[in-house]
Amino acid sequence: MANTTPANRPLSPHLQVWRFTPTMAASITHRIFGVGLYTGTVALAAWTGAIALGAEAFAPVGAFFASPFGNFVIFGYIWSLCFHLLAGIRYLYFDSGRGLGPKTATQTSIAIFAGSIVLAILIGLAALAARGAS
Amino acid sequence: MSKKGTPTFVMQRASAVILAPLAIWFLWSLTVNAGDDFTAARAWLSDIKNALLLGALIVVGAFHMRIGMQEIIDDYIHGRLRGALLALNWLAAIAIAAVTLLSIATVAF
Repeated sequence: MANTTPANRPLSPHLQVWRFTPTMAASITHRIFGVGLYTGTVALAAWTGAIALGAEAFAPVGAFFASPFGNFVIFGYIWSLCFHLLAGIRYLYFDSGRGLGPKTATQTSIAIFAGSIVLAILIGLAALAARGAS
Repeated sequence: MSKKGTPTFVMQRASAVILAPLAIWFLWSLTVNAGDDFTAARAWLSDIKNALLLGALIVVGAFHMRIGMQEIIDDYIHGRLRGALLALNWLAAIAIAAVTLLSIATVAF
Protein backbone atom coordinates (compact mmCIF):
# COMPACT_ATOMS: atom_id res chain seq x y z
CA MET A 1 0.00 0.00 0.00
CA ALA A 2 2.86 2.36 0.82
CA ASN A 3 4.00 2.38 -2.81
CA THR A 4 0.64 3.43 -4.19
CA THR A 5 1.01 6.76 -5.92
CA PRO A 6 -1.91 9.13 -6.54
CA ALA A 7 -1.56 8.51 -10.27
CA ASN A 8 -2.58 4.86 -9.78
CA ARG A 9 -5.80 5.66 -8.03
CA PRO A 10 -8.98 5.20 -10.05
CA LEU A 11 -10.49 8.40 -11.40
CA SER A 12 -14.20 9.15 -11.35
CA PRO A 13 -16.15 7.64 -14.23
CA HIS A 14 -16.19 10.09 -17.08
CA LEU A 15 -19.29 11.75 -18.45
CA GLN A 16 -19.70 9.68 -21.57
CA VAL A 17 -20.33 6.41 -19.71
CA TRP A 18 -23.40 7.79 -17.93
CA ARG A 19 -26.96 7.28 -19.13
CA PHE A 20 -28.85 10.58 -19.07
CA THR A 21 -31.06 10.94 -15.99
CA PRO A 22 -32.34 14.10 -14.22
CA THR A 23 -30.23 13.25 -11.15
CA MET A 24 -26.97 13.01 -13.11
CA ALA A 25 -27.90 16.20 -14.98
CA ALA A 26 -28.42 17.99 -11.64
CA SER A 27 -25.10 16.64 -10.35
CA ILE A 28 -22.98 17.74 -13.32
CA THR A 29 -24.84 21.07 -13.61
CA HIS A 30 -24.04 21.73 -9.94
CA ARG A 31 -20.35 21.27 -10.76
CA ILE A 32 -20.36 23.24 -14.01
CA PHE A 33 -22.29 26.14 -12.44
CA GLY A 34 -19.91 25.95 -9.47
CA VAL A 35 -17.04 26.58 -11.88
CA GLY A 36 -19.11 29.38 -13.43
CA LEU A 37 -19.55 30.95 -10.00
CA TYR A 38 -15.77 30.65 -9.46
CA THR A 39 -15.34 32.82 -12.58
CA GLY A 40 -18.12 35.11 -11.38
CA THR A 41 -16.38 35.59 -8.04
CA VAL A 42 -13.17 36.55 -9.87
CA ALA A 43 -15.25 39.14 -11.77
CA LEU A 44 -16.81 40.36 -8.52
CA ALA A 45 -13.38 40.77 -6.92
CA ALA A 46 -12.27 42.71 -10.03
CA TRP A 47 -15.39 44.88 -9.71
CA THR A 48 -14.59 45.78 -6.08
CA GLY A 49 -10.95 46.39 -7.09
CA ALA A 50 -12.04 48.76 -9.87
CA ILE A 51 -14.25 50.72 -7.45
CA ALA A 52 -11.34 51.09 -5.04
CA LEU A 53 -9.04 52.29 -7.85
CA GLY A 54 -11.42 55.04 -8.92
CA ALA A 55 -13.74 56.25 -11.69
CA GLU A 56 -11.19 55.90 -14.47
CA ALA A 57 -10.36 52.28 -13.67
CA PHE A 58 -14.05 51.50 -13.17
CA ALA A 59 -15.17 52.85 -16.58
CA PRO A 60 -14.27 49.78 -18.72
CA VAL A 61 -15.54 47.37 -16.03
CA GLY A 62 -18.83 49.25 -15.75
CA ALA A 63 -19.12 49.42 -19.55
CA PHE A 64 -18.58 45.67 -19.81
CA PHE A 65 -21.34 44.81 -17.31
CA ALA A 66 -23.70 47.34 -18.97
CA SER A 67 -23.15 45.82 -22.45
CA PRO A 68 -25.49 43.14 -23.89
CA PHE A 69 -22.77 40.52 -23.39
CA GLY A 70 -22.18 41.79 -19.85
CA ASN A 71 -25.92 41.51 -19.16
CA PHE A 72 -25.81 37.94 -20.48
CA VAL A 73 -22.88 37.17 -18.13
CA ILE A 74 -24.79 38.67 -15.17
CA PHE A 75 -27.88 36.63 -16.05
CA GLY A 76 -25.72 33.49 -16.25
CA TYR A 77 -24.29 34.34 -12.83
CA ILE A 78 -27.80 34.84 -11.39
CA TRP A 79 -29.07 31.53 -12.80
CA SER A 80 -25.92 29.70 -11.65
CA LEU A 81 -26.24 31.13 -8.14
CA CYS A 82 -29.97 30.24 -7.95
CA PHE A 83 -29.29 26.70 -9.16
CA HIS A 84 -26.22 26.14 -6.98
CA LEU A 85 -28.15 27.46 -3.96
CA LEU A 86 -31.18 25.20 -4.52
CA ALA A 87 -28.98 22.21 -5.38
CA GLY A 88 -26.85 22.91 -2.30
CA ILE A 89 -29.94 22.88 -0.08
CA ARG A 90 -30.92 19.58 -1.75
CA TYR A 91 -27.49 18.13 -0.94
CA LEU A 92 -27.74 19.26 2.68
CA TYR A 93 -31.09 17.46 2.83
CA PHE A 94 -29.38 14.37 1.36
CA ASP A 95 -26.70 14.66 4.07
CA SER A 96 -29.44 14.24 6.67
CA GLY A 97 -30.04 10.81 5.14
CA ARG A 98 -33.37 11.76 3.59
CA GLY A 99 -34.61 12.20 0.03
CA LEU A 100 -32.24 9.61 -1.39
CA GLY A 101 -34.83 7.27 -2.95
CA PRO A 102 -34.70 7.22 -6.77
CA LYS A 103 -38.19 8.68 -7.14
CA THR A 104 -37.70 11.57 -4.68
CA ALA A 105 -34.17 12.30 -5.94
CA THR A 106 -35.44 12.50 -9.52
CA GLN A 107 -38.36 14.75 -8.56
CA THR A 108 -36.18 17.14 -6.55
CA SER A 109 -33.58 17.33 -9.34
CA ILE A 110 -36.30 18.38 -11.81
CA ALA A 111 -37.66 20.81 -9.21
CA ILE A 112 -34.30 22.60 -8.77
CA PHE A 113 -33.92 23.01 -12.55
CA ALA A 114 -37.44 24.44 -12.89
CA GLY A 115 -37.19 26.50 -9.69
CA SER A 116 -33.83 28.04 -10.56
CA ILE A 117 -34.99 29.00 -14.08
CA VAL A 118 -38.16 30.66 -12.75
CA LEU A 119 -36.20 32.46 -9.99
CA ALA A 120 -33.49 33.65 -12.41
CA ILE A 121 -36.07 35.03 -14.88
CA LEU A 122 -37.97 36.82 -12.09
CA ILE A 123 -34.75 38.33 -10.71
CA GLY A 124 -33.64 39.32 -14.23
CA LEU A 125 -36.97 41.03 -14.94
CA ALA A 126 -36.93 42.80 -11.55
CA ALA A 127 -33.37 44.01 -12.24
CA LEU A 128 -34.40 45.34 -15.66
CA ALA A 129 -37.33 47.15 -14.03
CA ALA A 130 -35.06 48.62 -11.32
CA ARG A 131 -32.57 49.77 -13.96
CA GLY A 132 -35.36 51.39 -15.96
CA ALA A 133 -36.61 53.20 -12.87
CA SER A 134 -33.19 54.54 -11.81
CA MET B 1 -6.42 14.72 0.15
CA SER B 2 -5.71 11.52 2.04
CA LYS B 3 -6.95 11.49 5.67
CA LYS B 4 -8.50 14.94 5.27
CA GLY B 5 -11.72 13.78 3.65
CA THR B 6 -14.05 14.22 6.60
CA PRO B 7 -12.89 17.69 7.73
CA THR B 8 -13.05 18.86 4.10
CA PHE B 9 -16.57 17.48 3.76
CA VAL B 10 -17.66 19.28 6.94
CA MET B 11 -15.94 22.56 5.96
CA GLN B 12 -17.65 22.52 2.57
CA ARG B 13 -21.07 22.09 4.22
CA ALA B 14 -20.37 24.67 6.94
CA SER B 15 -19.31 27.28 4.37
CA ALA B 16 -22.38 26.41 2.26
CA VAL B 17 -24.66 27.12 5.22
CA ILE B 18 -22.98 30.52 5.74
CA LEU B 19 -23.09 31.32 2.01
CA ALA B 20 -26.78 30.53 1.47
CA PRO B 21 -28.19 33.64 3.25
CA LEU B 22 -25.34 35.80 1.88
CA ALA B 23 -26.19 34.64 -1.67
CA ILE B 24 -29.86 35.58 -1.16
CA TRP B 25 -28.81 39.01 0.16
CA PHE B 26 -26.47 39.51 -2.82
CA LEU B 27 -29.12 38.52 -5.40
CA TRP B 28 -31.49 41.00 -3.78
CA SER B 29 -28.80 43.74 -3.76
CA LEU B 30 -27.92 43.05 -7.39
CA THR B 31 -31.59 43.43 -8.33
CA VAL B 32 -32.43 46.65 -6.52
CA ASN B 33 -29.15 48.36 -7.52
CA ALA B 34 -29.13 47.33 -11.18
CA GLY B 35 -27.98 50.14 -13.47
CA ASP B 36 -26.00 52.01 -10.80
CA ASP B 37 -23.14 54.16 -12.09
CA PHE B 38 -19.69 54.50 -10.46
CA THR B 39 -20.77 57.07 -7.87
CA ALA B 40 -23.75 54.99 -6.78
CA ALA B 41 -21.74 51.74 -6.76
CA ARG B 42 -19.01 53.38 -4.64
CA ALA B 43 -21.61 54.79 -2.25
CA TRP B 44 -23.15 51.31 -1.97
CA LEU B 45 -19.77 49.74 -1.16
CA SER B 46 -19.00 52.55 1.34
CA ASP B 47 -21.98 51.48 3.44
CA ILE B 48 -20.39 49.43 6.21
CA LYS B 49 -23.22 46.87 6.18
CA ASN B 50 -22.75 46.21 2.45
CA ALA B 51 -18.96 46.16 2.80
CA LEU B 52 -19.08 43.54 5.56
CA LEU B 53 -21.67 41.35 3.83
CA LEU B 54 -19.91 41.49 0.43
CA GLY B 55 -16.56 40.82 2.13
CA ALA B 56 -18.05 37.79 3.90
CA LEU B 57 -19.65 36.55 0.66
CA ILE B 58 -16.40 36.72 -1.30
CA VAL B 59 -14.04 35.47 1.44
CA VAL B 60 -16.26 32.54 2.50
CA GLY B 61 -17.04 32.02 -1.20
CA ALA B 62 -13.32 31.79 -2.01
CA PHE B 63 -12.91 29.22 0.79
CA HIS B 64 -15.88 27.19 -0.54
CA MET B 65 -14.90 27.32 -4.20
CA ARG B 66 -11.28 26.36 -3.44
CA ILE B 67 -12.58 23.09 -1.95
CA GLY B 68 -15.07 22.54 -4.80
CA MET B 69 -12.46 23.11 -7.51
CA GLN B 70 -10.00 20.82 -5.70
CA GLU B 71 -12.66 18.09 -5.74
CA ILE B 72 -13.01 18.51 -9.51
CA ILE B 73 -9.22 18.47 -10.02
CA ASP B 74 -8.89 15.35 -7.83
CA ASP B 75 -11.60 13.62 -9.85
CA TYR B 76 -10.44 14.36 -13.37
CA ILE B 77 -6.78 15.39 -13.38
CA HIS B 78 -3.81 13.27 -12.47
CA GLY B 79 -0.10 13.29 -13.17
CA ARG B 80 2.14 16.33 -13.02
CA LEU B 81 -0.57 18.80 -14.02
CA ARG B 82 -2.54 18.02 -10.86
CA GLY B 83 -0.06 19.63 -8.45
CA ALA B 84 0.24 22.76 -10.56
CA LEU B 85 -3.54 23.15 -10.79
CA LEU B 86 -3.98 22.61 -7.04
CA ALA B 87 -1.40 25.33 -6.37
CA LEU B 88 -3.03 27.65 -8.88
CA ASN B 89 -6.40 27.00 -7.23
CA TRP B 90 -5.01 27.99 -3.82
CA LEU B 91 -3.38 31.10 -5.31
CA ALA B 92 -6.60 32.16 -7.03
CA ALA B 93 -8.65 31.79 -3.85
CA ILE B 94 -6.13 33.76 -1.76
CA ALA B 95 -5.79 36.48 -4.43
CA ILE B 96 -9.57 36.88 -4.69
CA ALA B 97 -9.95 37.23 -0.92
CA ALA B 98 -6.96 39.60 -0.64
CA VAL B 99 -8.03 41.89 -3.51
CA THR B 100 -11.57 42.08 -2.14
CA LEU B 101 -10.60 42.83 1.46
CA LEU B 102 -8.05 45.43 0.39
CA SER B 103 -10.54 47.11 -1.96
CA ILE B 104 -13.32 47.14 0.59
CA ALA B 105 -11.00 48.54 3.24
CA THR B 106 -9.89 51.30 0.83
CA VAL B 107 -13.45 52.28 -0.02
CA ALA B 108 -15.18 51.85 3.33
CA PHE B 109 -12.59 53.27 5.75
